[in-house]
Amino acid sequence: MADEEEDPTYEEENEEIGGGVEGGQGKRKRLFSKELRCMMYGFGDDQNPYTESVDILEDLVIEFITEMTHKAMSIGRQGRVQVEDIVFLIRKDPRKFARVKDLLTMNEELKRARKAFDEANYGS
Amino acid sequence: MAMDGACESPAEKGGETEVSDEAAAGPGATDADGHPEEADADGDGDLKEAATEEGELKSQDISDLTAVEREDSSLLTPAAKKLKIDTKEKKEKKQKVDEDEIQKMQILVSSFSEEQLNRYEMYRRSAFPKAAIKRLIQSITGTSVSQNVVIAMSGISKVFVGEVVEEALDVCEKWGEMPPLQPKHMREAVRRLKSKGQIPNSKHKKIIFF
Repeated sequence: MADEEEDPTYEEENEEIGGGVEGGQGKRKRLFSKELRCMMYGFGDDQNPYTESVDILEDLVIEFITEMTHKAMSIGRQGRVQVEDIVFLIRKDPRKFARVKDLLTMNEELKRARKAFDEANYGS
Repeated sequence: MAMDGACESPAEKGGETEVSDEAAAGPGATDADGHPEEADADGDGDLKEAATEEGELKSQDISDLTAVEREDSSLLTPAAKKLKIDTKEKKEKKQKVDEDEIQKMQILVSSFSEEQLNRYEMYRRSAFPKAAIKRLIQSITGTSVSQNVVIAMSGISKVFVGEVVEEALDVCEKWGEMPPLQPKHMREAVRRLKSKGQIPNSKHKKIIFF
C-alpha cells in the first residue's frame, strides 16, 4: 500500500505505484503489520522498521505458509493438513524442527496442567 | 525417546510458550560437558550417542539398544538392563545440563541493559495472531484444521521471519549500511536463503539432466 508513504522511493514487490488494477497480494489487506514490526525489532532490526520491508516480509510469510500448506495437503492424508505432515516437511531444517517439537510438547504440558487444575477445583 | 532428538530447551515455567534458545537449536552446539548436544532431527542421534558412550558397538549391543528403545523388558538381557539404566542416567544428566543452561540464561538476562531488555521482550512475546493464521490456512485448504496445526504453523513462520531478518542484517552489515533494513537487504537475503534451500518454492521445475 504505497499510499502510506509520501515518497515512494522503494518499489514494493507486486505493487504499481499510483495503484492500478492489481490482483493478488497488492490489494489484499495487510494481515500482520503490527505483529511483524514487533517481531523484526525483536530479531534485531530498528525499533521502527520501514513499512516497505514489513510488507515484503508479510508477503514472504504468506507465501511460506501457502507453500507449506499445499505441500502438507499433498502428502499423508490428501486434502487435509495435519501436524505430522508439517513435522515431516520440516524434518531437514533443524531449527524449525526443534521449535515445532518444543511448541507441541509445551502445549501438551499446558493442557495437562490446566486439566489437573480444573479437576482440583471441581474436587474441592 | 525420539523426542529427545529435539533439544529440551530450557523453558521458563509459568506458561511462557516462547522458547528463546537459538543456540540450543543449532546443530553441533555443545552442552557444558562437551558432548555434542542432541539437536539431530533424526532419532538415530540418540542411538549413536548411547553407543559411543558405551565405547563398543557389538551386534548384541545394537539389538539390546533396539530392545531398550522399544522398552520391551521381556527381551532385556542383563546387559540391556544396564544400558537402560545408563540411558536413564544420561537423561538425568541432560536435565541437569538444562538447569545449568536455565541458570546461565537468567544471569544473562539480569545483566541486560534496558534497550536489550526491550528487544528481548519483543523477541519472546511477538507472535502471529492465531485467528488470522487459522483463517489463512483454512482459506487454502478449504477444510478446517486442528489447533495444533495452527500452533505449529505460527511457530515455524516466526522462525522463518527470524532467519530472513538475521540474513538481512548480515547483508546490511556486509554492505556497510545501518539498520533499519531496506527492501534491497530483504531481497538479497531472500536470494541467499533461496540458494541455500531455506525458502520453499514449488513453482520452479527442477531440470536434472540436460
